[in-house]
Amino acid sequence: MADFLANYSIQKWLESCPQGYLEDTVFGHGPDEREPDDLLKNESYREQQIRTTVQLIAGERCALAASSGLVNAAPDQASKTFLATQTLDEGRHVEIFTQRLYDLGIKPDDLESTIKTYINPHLGKFAEVLLEKVDKKDFVAGVVGQNIVLEGMAFSVFEMLHTGALETNPKFAHTLSGTIADERRHVGFGENRIGELIRRYPERKADVQRMQRDMTKHMLATFHEAFSRSPAVADTVAPSGRKSNATYQGLKLAEASNEEMESALSATVLGEFKTRLGRIGLEYQSPV
Amino acid sequence: MNDPLETARRAPERRPRQSFELEETGFNEVPKRFRKFYRRWRGPKDKLAPNEALCPVCKVVIRSTKELRAGDRVYCMPCMSRLELVEENGVLLAKVIY
Ligand SMILES: [Fe+2]
Ligand SMILES: [Fe+2]
Repeated sequence: MADFLANYSIQKWLESCPQGYLEDTVFGHGPDEREPDDLLKNESYREQQIRTTVQLIAGERCALAASSGLVNAAPDQASKTFLATQTLDEGRHVEIFTQRLYDLGIKPDDLESTIKTYINPHLGKFAEVLLEKVDKKDFVAGVVGQNIVLEGMAFSVFEMLHTGALETNPKFAHTLSGTIADERRHVGFGENRIGELIRRYPERKADVQRMQRDMTKHMLATFHEAFSRSPAVADTVAPSGRKSNATYQGLKLAEASNEEMESALSATVLGEFKTRLGRIGLEYQSPV
Repeated sequence: MNDPLETARRAPERRPRQSFELEETGFNEVPKRFRKFYRRWRGPKDKLAPNEALCPVCKVVIRSTKELRAGDRVYCMPCMSRLELVEENGVLLAKVIY
């Protein structure tokens, strides 16, 4: 067994995560941090934030279903242990983003109907491709889909949202920074575990690459739909006087058009996919 | 062993390695006793010091008390990857060991 697996212990997770960067947080942020007033008072801006948060909840529900399902598909105890910690991370992500919807004024009774109203249909298809592999207990494809494709996408999306929120919404930025820290472990597990398995089972490459191509197609459609529905400026930027100077991939977030944001995010995520897949011995497959 | 530099390259070295005093960086994603060994990366314009390497997996900067050189093996605790340093076009890069 590869020696990196020895590091996947619940004890290490406890020390880094709940006793580390999550210590003294409440739903992932400081106990005194609140959603900014200008956000809550501006109806279209608040709606944009609700729409964004719904996509985060949907993505995290998929990650929770995938990581918990993969526990029973994992071939070794260390991977099961790691995936158990990831399951709790993902359960926490679902909870903190759900809490954010409540903080944005959604009543708990309206949670599911709000998700139904705002969910991006392509995101559901993206999740289906992954969960089909998990249901078949296909560990290699499941981990590539979950810990490289889904997490690789989440990593870039969270970083973009974090950059946008840093000046204008410290509460949301704080919530995101904890999820980014969790993602580091998740992508690390994906690359390390699968890097080793793909070398051992090269015959799995073609099938896994097909899944990556399908997931990528639905991901790009998700981004396209998300940015074309956003009414005005990129939805991480406060509309009021407090204009953010934040930049993402060289773009000024407060001034970038939706098309510019969509192409910057897509290019970043695809670039990440190519390098991550290349490192573990897979070839990125373009959906077009 | 606390330092992320797990094994220095075996080849004989003509010049002794510089030592570095590490201060806290505000990085809080690993247990307290390891925090000074890592810092957040500030993007492509971030210039790395001779005792630093960028983890390509999780984009955290790894810091050692010793100058790092090609052939060294380092550990990235935030993403739990083992990396080997290689020199490409005069730049030190970290590659994952699977
Ligand atoms: Fe997550
Ligand atoms: Fe790392």
